[in-house]
Amino acid sequence: MSDSRAQTAYYESEAALRLVDKELDQLRDGAEAVSRFVNLSLADLPLILERANNQIRAVLSHLRETRQALQSTTFEKLQTTHDKIKEVTSATEDAAINIMDACDRASQIVDELDTIDATETPDRGKATELRATLRDELFMMMGALQFQDITSQQLAHASSVLVEMETRLADIANLFDSSLATDRPLATLQAGAPDERTYDPNATTRNAEQRQHLADEIFTAVKAPAA
Amino acid sequence: MKFLVVDDSATMRRIVINSLQRIGFNDTVEAGDGQEALAKFDSSVKFVITDWNMPNMTGTEFTKVLRSRDDGRHVPVLMVTARSVKEDILTAMEAGVNNYIVKPFTPQVLKEKIDALLPAAAA
Repeated sequence: MSDSRAQTAYYESEAALRLVDKELDQLRDGAEAVSRFVNLSLADLPLILERANNQIRAVLSHLRETRQALQSTTFEKLQTTHDKIKEVTSATEDAAINIMDACDRASQIVDELDTIDATETPDRGKATELRATLRDELFMMMGALQFQDITSQQLAHASSVLVEMETRLADIANLFDSSLATDRPLATLQAGAPDERTYDPNATTRNAEQRQHLADEIFTAVKAPAA
Repeated sequence: MKFLVVDDSATMRRIVINSLQRIGFNDTVEAGDGQEALAKFDSSVKFVITDWNMPNMTGTEFTKVLRSRDDGRHVPVLMVTARSVKEDILTAMEAGVNNYIVKPFTPQVLKEKIDALLPAAAA
């Protein structure tokens, strides 16, 4: 769900809650009217009950709308966050396995170099070739550490969603009863969110080749600025 | 040839700088965001490699400011970023980026993009 849709759903929820509040006020007024009517005439009771019934139905309808709006907004956001965290776990594991594989291969190359050194007439050409391969392996290990930059962006995004949820819940609590407000002011909550400029919500370690291909296509199709 | 490497991730700066050294470019200067990069940029810098998402000043903002400076108008700017949706790529291009690498990248891709921009850097 986009931020604008989330914002809309939030405002709709807020509007619905205000309507609920208004309906409850009317209901309270109705109750006062009932007591007045009861004093006047019991014949009006069916009419009063019908009115009360309609008001209760209206309140329930608004509550249902509110619940649906909140549910769809929070569910989608939290699902996305859950997926991001799962991807962090997966990317971390992939990187760890790639690095361990490279360590194994590097260790094997070192053994082969030891074997070459132990011979009476060491094959210098072969040793040079193995050293180059060893450097490639070490370089590959370093490249695998790029996952750290991407997973930190994914975690920043997850953190921002949690702050947003906390803020939204605090707002809703305020709507019902300002005395329920959290001890932490909203401004403090929002200040704890990661800086939006420092992460990409869509950052991923997946399909890097396809994504690079798209960038290349765009830069080829649209003339890049001349350096 | 001096390279300016801009990224808020120290890990990524090291990876890019090590990749550059591996293909023979040892003269590098690094910055953690666009503001620091602008402060460190001078006419001795012949090539810029920048991330997009950074605090204080992003890579696209930095590139725009760089393009408005006499000494930064023609320096090749290569963006290395996790952002990869079409709109982002076009935005980077509009900001003045000359080419684009998607993270995570391979050293081969980095070399290809640098090679393609080297004639402009040497000019």
